[in-house]
Amino acid sequence: MTLLEIRLQRFRNIAGTSLRFSGPRQFFQGGNGQGKTNLLEATGYVTALRSFRSADHRPLVMNGADEAGLAMTFNHETTGETRVVIRLRPDGRGVEVDQEKISRVGDVIGRFPAVTLSSDDIQFIRQSPGLRRRWLDLALSAGDPVYLRELQRYHRGLAGRNRILKNEGGDRELSAFEQTMAETASALTPLREEGTRQLSETLQTVCGEISGGAETAALTRLAGGTAGTAEEWLALWRESREKDRLSGGTRRGLHRDDYELSLNNRSARDFASEGQQRGLVLALRLAEFRYLMEKRRVRPLLLADDIVNELDPERRRRFWKFLGEETQVLATGTEPPPEPETWQRFEVSGGVFTELFR
Amino acid sequence: MTPTFDTVVRLLKQLPGLGHRSGERLALHLLVERSERLNPLVEALSAAAAAVRRCGRCGNLAEDELCVVCADGRRDPATVCVVEQVPDLAAIERSAAYGGVYHVLHGKLSPINGVGPDHLNLATLSDRLSNGEVSELILALSNDVEGEATCHYITSLLPDTGVKFSRIGFGLPSGGGVVFADAVTLKNALDGRREYH
Repeated sequence: MTLLEIRLQRFRNIAGTSLRFSGPRQFFQGGNGQGKTNLLEATGYVTALRSFRSADHRPLVMNGADEAGLAMTFNHETTGETRVVIRLRPDGRGVEVDQEKISRVGDVIGRFPAVTLSSDDIQFIRQSPGLRRRWLDLALSAGDPVYLRELQRYHRGLAGRNRILKNEGGDRELSAFEQTMAETASALTPLREEGTRQLSETLQTVCGEISGGAETAALTRLAGGTAGTAEEWLALWRESREKDRLSGGTRRGLHRDDYELSLNNRSARDFASEGQQRGLVLALRLAEFRYLMEKRRVRPLLLADDIVNELDPERRRRFWKFLGEETQVLATGTEPPPEPETWQRFEVSGGVFTELFR
Repeated sequence: MTPTFDTVVRLLKQLPGLGHRSGERLALHLLVERSERLNPLVEALSAAAAAVRRCGRCGNLAEDELCVVCADGRRDPATVCVVEQVPDLAAIERSAAYGGVYHVLHGKLSPINGVGPDHLNLATLSDRLSNGEVSELILALSNDVEGEATCHYITSLLPDTGVKFSRIGFGLPSGGGVVFADAVTLKNALDGRREYH
């Protein structure tokens, strides 16, 4: 898909802007803190109705305003010219696709996919497992709405079980929630296994295309509980009850999964150099791009935050070859991009966007 | 506006489905615009408050010991449909598709909202099932996580009573085409498919 037009009102530091895009390359240039990334953030919000910077949508509304508005017009592979309107208020949000109200995230997630590349992505290797779990869950949810539904049910059941543990509720009540969790966990486990395997395979291919080397890259699931079938999950939680009561929470389960990135069969976190780590997370994002494209048959947008100016010439050449001519790329940088004449360029200052004519 | 008027609005807006504006509209309507409606309403409320109680058998609204459904000799007492709330019962009654009796739980297990087994109308359900009159229990609870957990809880209460448990189906609305259903409903409908003759 391509983004034809975006209008923002009271979104972070952007009081109001309306931009029409022509061609597949847009570059937003300006100093730090001027609003470049805010524009990418708004564009990426539509993928899963979440920001890639903040789990809470309240910071997205301009200081002192009571509502932020986002309107985007896409040219979409399956629905043609499609308009998405999102209103964000401190107490909630409203989403419309072609004037039809959307009440559930599941009805829109993954329909308008965008993949974000950012220099913060390296935290994906370095930080705690929460970031990796969240990324994988979002990628798999965007690829398959059934995954999201099961995941929401799992977390609802988990919250119920945790509350019963804290309130010192009875075993019969615990068991009732363990059974609903076991049903969803047995549906989720194979989806996660298969999703991780597909992403890992894609990562290996992309790594070869991007680095041109013979490195082997892999993404592996480290299970937060060794169970697969509903009976196995039930047995695991039944056995854990006493210790879980003491710790006041469910210590084992799908919510404790972690994912390891490895390079040449060794943990990237412990053994890869900073340059290798940066190359690996770039390949991982591009693997996500290809995964979504294959799953949803929609070409995602690529949002490159402070990335394109950082690639060395050889890697840059491979990067563009990977994306091809059709992929729309919205990129930011403090300096003009290489080959500036190939981009539609905007200067960004204090939340105001001005098109620079070639 | 006036102290007593404001008190009325404050009490009205605590009711389900009413906000400040609708509370204000109701108060104005009853006190000023159509004040002749006020007294009949007050009388009806206090009469109902004195008369309406829970059916001693199923938990439905009743004015006698038993509700109209439990007291109706033409209903099949061996088939019991378990619902969360009285409006669920009313919806099934309107469909005229069911000839058995009911059991109203007045809620579902929801630890997050502080609702545990003690808050539900479960004790009388156990009594009804253990006296041998019931042959089938239809679980017509919602198919969210709390509804499912409540179903599991009920079946675990009564493992060996010989009662047949069934769960209502979830799927496509009648008269609706496949294209209009969302992915989750379609999955439910496919999971709940049955053999076609």
